[in-house]
Amino acid sequence: MHVTEKAKARKRVTWAHIVTFVLATAISYVLAVVSSLIFPVLGAPGVSALYVAAAIYVPLGIWMGMWGALAGYISCFFLGLWPSGYTPIQSFIWSWADFIEALAPAAVFRLFKVDPDFSVKRGWAAKAFPPLIALGSIILLLGVVVQVLWGATLGEPFTTIYVYSVYTGLALALIGVLLGLMVGHRKTWAAHIAGIILASLLSGIWGAGTLTLWNLPPPLPAELFWPAFTGWVAGDLIVLSVLSTALLVALTPVFKRTGLYVEGWWA
Amino acid sequence: MPTLLEEFVGVRVGGSPYLRLHSVTRIIVPFLLSLNVLFAKDLLSVAALCSLSFAVLLLSGVPLRVVRGYLALIASVTIFIALAFMLFTKVPGRVLWELQLLRVQAERGVWEWSIVVTDASLLRTLYFSLRILSMIFIATLFIATVGDRDMLWGLRRLGLPAGITVGASLFFRGIGFFLSDFAVVKEAMEARGVDFERTSLAKRFMLYVNALIPLLSLLVTRSFEISTALETRGISPGTRLSGSYHSTPLSRGDYLVLAAMCLVTLAFAGWFMCG
Repeated sequence: MHVTEKAKARKRVTWAHIVTFVLATAISYVLAVVSSLIFPVLGAPGVSALYVAAAIYVPLGIWMGMWGALAGYISCFFLGLWPSGYTPIQSFIWSWADFIEALAPAAVFRLFKVDPDFSVKRGWAAKAFPPLIALGSIILLLGVVVQVLWGATLGEPFTTIYVYSVYTGLALALIGVLLGLMVGHRKTWAAHIAGIILASLLSGIWGAGTLTLWNLPPPLPAELFWPAFTGWVAGDLIVLSVLSTALLVALTPVFKRTGLYVEGWWA
Repeated sequence: MPTLLEEFVGVRVGGSPYLRLHSVTRIIVPFLLSLNVLFAKDLLSVAALCSLSFAVLLLSGVPLRVVRGYLALIASVTIFIALAFMLFTKVPGRVLWELQLLRVQAERGVWEWSIVVTDASLLRTLYFSLRILSMIFIATLFIATVGDRDMLWGLRRLGLPAGITVGASLFFRGIGFFLSDFAVVKEAMEARGVDFERTSLAKRFMLYVNALIPLLSLLVTRSFEISTALETRGISPGTRLSGSYHSTPLSRGDYLVLAAMCLVTLAFAGWFMCG
């Protein structure tokens, strides 16, 4: 019997799923603590400008569906408690950010029925597109933040900064997307790029929002929303486009070969 | 039986009456203490909780050098909290110090960015720092006095299914696995000529990132070893494992400690409701 037929036949949650999820959660937690201490976003404990843990649980979401989202949630929950020092309730609400972060790409792949094939046909495109997408999106984001915070009320020179940032950021990101589509299997890479952008934005909104605006009570002042949001999204864009792409290319065949790959949400 | 702290960093906690308590008690005490964090809403209550957590930590026999290792962490987190209240926002109160960082003359007004230290911002920083310190003491108490087998047996006694009990125990064991696997991968990289000491911070970061691929490969291998071992024993994730093999009853000391901790939690809850 072919390996993929074997994987299709198995639709039950097994120990392999649970154990892989638990070990991945442990790794994510260690990396989350290290990232938030080495690359912190000023003023926001637990938020990292280079959250390496996301490179573990986001690909895990693509490979193993909800197990990846759960790994993100639990590692973030413990990070919120220690060393960030949020209360269990604050951490419970905040941690859904990492759940969403892993869920978004997992949902893109499952809802559009994309069978992940991260084989690389053009190596140069695979190397070039992650920094272009990350850099372009960050410049675009910074432009929007400058406009929202200062350009709308104070006018020049902030509006000029906004206009140039939007054009430059969009151009770089679009070139990145085009190069991304040239790497190999188009559907897979398009889903991956959409997943990176969706995951970064949605988790950034929820994460920064629940730290500063919507929590019981928010642990940080409301003025910190934009710095936390910008740092969060920028960090995620870099980590997801550069690190998780490398992991997906290297390890997707391993997960498929070993039967750990989950076609549905749980099994 | 080695505790989690011993497995992570090799620190053995000396014998103390606290360590002779039942594993269920050693799990519930830090849980109740961390529950109190919910009720510590002002500086006085958080200071009381911090002192209580530190006292329990000392009574448990945890060497102070373990806590000393966290000083750099506490200092850095405190600085970030201080920045949150002084660099990005102006907390209303008596201004103690102010420094203008940037001033931009715009089309329709002036934009200024300043560091503003007020008495209220200092108090808020102290409150957050003490809360983080309490959480660090409580987490240290937990990992220094509980082993993964304690977790397993404690949760089994509660009648939880194997999927949860093994999972909870494996989480902490998994941190130890990761640290030892990382050491192996790092040594393998060094054997191939990678010099971690002489490379720049950015390059070193990328080297560590490269190590993630073999680490995840090892995770898959380990996961198969563990799951096969569980399956060959006929244990499914839904199996309810017997807790009777390790069902030593709680002693009078356990009941006393648990009652005292429940009273403390009730006192903090009362303080929260009335304050």
